[in-house]
Amino acid sequence: MNEFRKMVRLAAMVAFLSISTTGVAQSGYDLDGRNIDPLASSSGKVVVLVFVRRDCPVSSRYAPRIQQISDEHRHDANFWLVDPDKGDSADAVRKYLADYGYHLPALRDPNQALVKLAHVEITPEVAVFDQHRRLVYDGRIDNWYVDLTRSRPAATTHELEDAIRAALDGRPVARREVRGVGCYISDIE
Amino acid sequence: MLHLRHRIIWRARLGTFVAALGATVCGTALLLASPVSRSKASPAQVTFNRDIAPIMFRSCSTCHRPGEAAPFSLLTYTDAKRHARQIAEVTRGRIMPPWLPEPQELKFADEMRLSPAEIDLIQKWVGQGAVEGNPADLPPQPKFVQGWELGEPDMILKAEKPLILPPQGTDTYWNFIFRFPINETQWVKAIEIRPGDKQYVHHANLLVDREETSRRREAQPGAGFGGMEIRIESQVFDPDSHLLFWKPGTAPYPEPEGMALRLDKGTDLVLNTHLQPSGKTEVIQPSIGIYFTPHPATRFPMLLQLENDVKLDIPAGDKDFVVTDTFKLPLDVQLLAIYPHAHYLGKDIQAFATFPDGTGKTLIHIPQWNLNWQAVYRYAEPVTLPRNTVVTMRYVYDNSEDNPLNPNRPPIRVRGGNRSADEMCHLWLQVLPIHFDPEQGDPRRVLQEALARHNIENNPADFEAHYNLAAMLQAKGSVDGAIEEYLSALRLRPDDAVANNALAAALLSQGKPDRAEPYLVAALKARPDYFDAHYNLGNALAAQNDFAGAAEQFRLALQSQSNDANCEANLGSALAEMGRLSEAKTHFERALQIDPHHALAQENLQELQREMKEQ
Repeated sequence: MNEFRKMVRLAAMVAFLSISTTGVAQSGYDLDGRNIDPLASSSGKVVVLVFVRRDCPVSSRYAPRIQQISDEHRHDANFWLVDPDKGDSADAVRKYLADYGYHLPALRDPNQALVKLAHVEITPEVAVFDQHRRLVYDGRIDNWYVDLTRSRPAATTHELEDAIRAALDGRPVARREVRGVGCYISDIE
Repeated sequence: MLHLRHRIIWRARLGTFVAALGATVCGTALLLASPVSRSKASPAQVTFNRDIAPIMFRSCSTCHRPGEAAPFSLLTYTDAKRHARQIAEVTRGRIMPPWLPEPQELKFADEMRLSPAEIDLIQKWVGQGAVEGNPADLPPQPKFVQGWELGEPDMILKAEKPLILPPQGTDTYWNFIFRFPINETQWVKAIEIRPGDKQYVHHANLLVDREETSRRREAQPGAGFGGMEIRIESQVFDPDSHLLFWKPGTAPYPEPEGMALRLDKGTDLVLNTHLQPSGKTEVIQPSIGIYFTPHPATRFPMLLQLENDVKLDIPAGDKDFVVTDTFKLPLDVQLLAIYPHAHYLGKDIQAFATFPDGTGKTLIHIPQWNLNWQAVYRYAEPVTLPRNTVVTMRYVYDNSEDNPLNPNRPPIRVRGGNRSADEMCHLWLQVLPIHFDPEQGDPRRVLQEALARHNIENNPADFEAHYNLAAMLQAKGSVDGAIEEYLSALRLRPDDAVANNALAAALLSQGKPDRAEPYLVAALKARPDYFDAHYNLGNALAAQNDFAGAAEQFRLALQSQSNDANCEANLGSALAEMGRLSEAKTHFERALQIDPHHALAQENLQELQREMKEQ
């Protein structure tokens, strides 16, 4: 696996100007069009992929919370924002990051390769990979939303933060998968 | 020659309205298809163009289009396909379109409920792969009016200062005051509320403040003020009678014939909004468009506010706390609209009418209350409720951990109150009195008196109820009864300036200035710049022949409100009594400058001039 990923990375570095629509497994595109494998680029830390749709109000309302959690874990986790909508240009994503005050690196995932890798279905959902690049959790950030029209005053479970801590401690995550409330990614396949 | 006058102050308990959230979707669902098979649609195959587009255009696109409240558009097949699974899910769960009441015999106007057959069709369409279908089947897209929906308004008012809504945090409740910039009374046919960015405003209520009472709550003029529930005071019996409400998808509502809303010089309109942070900073600056009519109101509805907040004392953990209230109508009315209101613990909300013959009808039933989607519900046809019909409200609250919206975790005891973490148990009924005898006076007074008596029965410590009952009794000439009720109100709030003044005015009208005096002193202790209390105290002192004291009070009154002809005339009278004739003359002349037809000033000035000649 490691060998393969290195090769992919090299290939991407050589060929970053000629982006193919097929994409490369486990990778997305940064906003300059470079092919990036977020797992390979993460130098020994936990990796968190956060999937958002620009047209999903639930994703958008989570922006400050996502930024806060990533700030709290800046020393031990690498966060990537992932936009799975193939219709979104890099400029559209840049504007979205600026509007919502993100300073996370963002990837476009037009072929939904990262979606498949992460097993996510909804925006916003996250995938947490441990230092060994194993997927240890995918699903909601927390239980703030009850359904699309009701949110709790504050979340009372914190699946993302629990999963990061478990991954750092080498413990198993209590619930490996908890689906989120928001917008289906399969609707924009 | 001194002519005593007094003012009767009526302070109504007008609406304490609340706001709801709702920045979500208001739409229907479509499903997604893999390859679009345009030609192969068989009769059993559900297609977008033939089957789904008509539902979507009718029930979703009103909100799901650019500039409206929904976060994305649902106008085309492509739009629908991008949200297909979501649409299937939210229609199946009846989350969308947002419509809380259960179906019932008494129909509401503009019901947004999808039929079971429509929901089934949507699920089938999605299950079959969300086929687009034959382009020839696609109905024309609905035509939506751009901009103001009723055309260019006669007057547009914009909130002076925007609210900067932070990216994150709890729901925000904010009030914007629109100062009505017109010098004469106007009649209003409709008001279109544009709450700013519709995606972030869940709902908004526009309240009429005839006496600028809300301005006292602004830190600076035009700044607006926070608060979920607001109370507006009124000094004359002029009950608010219109439900001016906005929620996503609400079309502006032109008032029925003869039911125009009166706006006077000095009227403020207060927009009470419920906003929800979006994840980024938003600038919210509402505006309202006003449409005038030359036709004054000829029919006067009234908002009956049933409430039983005093019974709200919900133990921590209680899943089914029930509050009920019943009110027997003292006259025949037509029920035009209904507006239930509770906060985050509300669960099951019902109101029903029991007719004098013992039969009954549900007025509204919301089995899963959601503050976020609260609304005013107007009946498709007015509902006649004969005299002696009993209106019952029954609200169930869930203060357990199982209620995800419970603001307290762990749950704590919750009581009635105005904060969003308190609870409420309110039901507004917009009623139009019918078949009444005009000789009996304003039928709304009969309703108001009955309601005040009812509220006192529910809660003997209800200050406003005692006060309002007193005012109704005084208005119909039962001054002794009024005095008793004012005294009851003052036992609850001894320092209330308005109640002290009103009691004094009642005593003055009975010719008891010596008894009135201490209440006026108390009113002025509570509010030293209170015009009415200075004025009434001047009259009380004059009636006891203390003209120097009276003149002093009239002068103080004029310091807080300089343009009052009555007060100038009375000051002139007091000075005349003291023999200071030339000063007196000045004040009679001022009174006549303000009101050239002021009878008392004319009479007294003539008499004064005769007397000055004789000297």
